Order: sequence, then C-alpha cells, then structure tokens
Amino acid sequence: MFNDFFSKFFGRQGSKEAAKKRLKFALVYDKLEISDDLLNDLQRDVVEVISRYFEIDTTAMKLDIKRSDDLSALVFNTPILSAKRK
Amino acid sequence: MEGKIIVVTSGKGGVGKTTATACIGAAMAMQGKKVAVIDMDIGLRNLDVVMGLENRIVFNIVDLARSRCKIQQAAIKDRRIDNLFLIPASQSDNKDSLTPEDIVRLSKGLRGRFDYIFMDCPAGIERGFENAVAAADEALVVCTPEVSSVRDADRIIGLLYAKSITPKLIVNRIVPEMVEKGDMLSHEDVVEVLSIDLIGLVKMDDKVVVSTNTGTPLVLQKDSEAGKAFHRIARRLNGQPNLPIENPYNAKGFWRSLGRKLRHRN
Ligand SMILES: Nc1ncnc2c1ncn2[C@@H]1O[C@H](COP(=O)(O)OP(=O)(O)OP(=O)(O)O)[C@@H](O)[C@H]1O
Ligand SMILES: [Mg+2]
Repeated sequence: MFNDFFSKFFGRQGSKEAAKKRLKFALVYDKLEISDDLLNDLQRDVVEVISRYFEIDTTAMKLDIKRSDDLSALVFNTPILSAKRK
Repeated sequence: MEGKIIVVTSGKGGVGKTTATACIGAAMAMQGKKVAVIDMDIGLRNLDVVMGLENRIVFNIVDLARSRCKIQQAAIKDRRIDNLFLIPASQSDNKDSLTPEDIVRLSKGLRGRFDYIFMDCPAGIERGFENAVAAADEALVVCTPEVSSVRDADRIIGLLYAKSITPKLIVNRIVPEMVEKGDMLSHEDVVEVLSIDLIGLVKMDDKVVVSTNTGTPLVLQKDSEAGKAFHRIARRLNGQPNLPIENPYNAKGFWRSLGRKLRHRN
C-alpha cells in the first residue's frame, strides 16, 4: 500500500501510461486507414464531378492516398483531354 | 406497452457481453420489468448456460424468425426470477441464418410483449453484429481496461453512431489494485479515449465464475461486487439515469482503508 503511495508521488510510471499512449496512437492510425470500397466510391464521385467540366481519360487516371510520417494526402491524377465549353 | 430494445456489444470477444446481458436483464426483471434476453450468438450459444436454463430449450431465435413457433413458445421463463425470459440462439445454424430484416420484423412482437429486450451480440463486426443491432433503440458497449479491447470498442462505437445510436459504456473486469499501481488503465483513461458516457463500472469478481459454474444468477448473490454493479446499471437504464457511479479505486478508498487499518490497530 505504502509502496504504491510513494511510487505515485515519486514518479514511477506504471505500464498504463504506455497502454494509453499506444492506444491513442492506434486509434489515430485506424482512422487514417481507408477501405478500398470507400476509395472506389470516391473515385466514382470525383470522376463524375470533373467530367462536368472536362473531358478526361478515365483509363489513365489514378486516385491514391500518399502517406508519410505525419500526414496523408489524397492524390488524384488525370490527363485532361479537353475543357467543356458551356 | 412499447418495449425498448437494448443491444449489448463490444467488438472484441470475451470481454463480458454475455455476463452483462444475463446480469442486467435479471436485475431489471427484479425491479419489476418484464424482460427478454436474446442470445444473438447463433452457432455459439452461451447465454443459456450462463443463466442456467440450458436444459429447458425447445425452440430458438431462428425457429422464431422462420415462424416455426410463437414468441411465448421460444421464450423460456426463469423460475427463480419473475418476469425474466430467455430466447436462446440456435446452435446448429450460423450467423447468416438470420438477416437484419428478420430481426426488425420480430421486434414488433417483442416490443409488444416485454418492457425491455436485451440482445447479446456476438463478437465481431459482421452479420451477427448487424443482426443484433438491427432493431436496437439503445446500445451498451462493454470493454475491459486493455488496449485491444478499448480499440475495438472505439470501432464499434463508430459503427453504432453511423446507425444513429449513441451507446453507453460499461468498463468490466477492473482490478482496483492494478489501477492504483498504475498498471491498468483507469475508467477515466478509457472514457477520455473513447469520449462516450459511462453507465457502469464492474470489478473483476471471482463470483462471476462461480455463478457461471452453477448457472445461478449473479445478481441474486448479495455479496457480489460485480452483481451489485450490474444492479446499479439496470437502475440507471430503468428511470434513474443519475444514480452516481462510484469509483472503485479512488483516493477516498485509500484513506478509508488506511483509517480502517489504524483503527483496528488501536
Ligand atoms: N467482472 C468479471 N469478473 C470476473 N470474470 C468475468 C467478469 N466478467 C466476465 N468474466 C468472465 O470472462 C469470460 C468472458 O465473459 P463473457 O462470456 O460474458 O464474454 P463475452 O463478451 O460474451 O464473450 P464472447 O465474445 O465469446 O461472446 C467468462 O469466463 C466470464 O465468466
Ligand atoms: Mg458472449
């Protein structure tokens, strides 16, 4: 009992601090993960919107998530064949 | 009468869903409500043995969904606790034997017959989960103070939000001594990470195992800490949402036990 008491005041950290840190990390990472279904849906929607303004080559376009240590980016690459005149 | 359907879920397996369903259901019935607990773990049924009703099964939830029996026939009446009924899972089918539509269809009759219907959800996020939450008005998420369990709870909470259900959290299998030593996540840590409302804290309690061994309801044992905690959760669900949640390991407990020790010495 007294050991616990002193350890609390003199800074011995139990394993729960590690647990909490790892948990928070895991949850952030989990939320950055994007399923193939979602990516496919997004691609379909993006193509639909862009096609309203441009003729695009849908066979050559590519939608990707680029991830580095501290950020993830959505990269959409498509050749434009022509702009649509309104 | 329009009964309420509450799903007990967790994502991760083995954290105490079945125990919680049996205990909260029984406690609620002891408070005078008419309660059905339904085992949605098709193919791996357990709620029947936890409740000690395994040798009275005739029909099950799949029979009910296929209209092979009526609710009165599928619902086994507990002889020790009035107003408590179990609808067991089928052991020979699998999760795909039911669809969410089946459950929604069944829910009408269930709501008309019971005040509270508790769905014991299987582990996982697949069909079994979809079936168990299909008709739910409310959800209880059970987790233990462990990284893997809390992470899975977070996933389940996200899925419940997507279904417009705001769940409440039960932290189960708390070992106060370990929390005091800093070797177990406290419920504050868990709540901070998950940011949802707490509805109860349940300690690790040997009596849970004993009651499961004999199939006698834990909530009938007056000296069980876990049993008392489940009684209080039932009261919070049943019209007393503000019943305080007591801290199983707060500083007061430390001073109180120290005080007790000193007194005994004198
Ligand atoms: N508070 C507690 N104290 C001690 N033991 C517990 C407690 N809660 C649950 N248990 C034990 O933990 C084990 C798992 O519990 P239970 O079967 O309720 O979990 P579950 O979430 O329903 O599992 P599954 O995912 O397999 O359906 C059981 O052996 C049970 O007796
Ligand atoms: Mg279970």
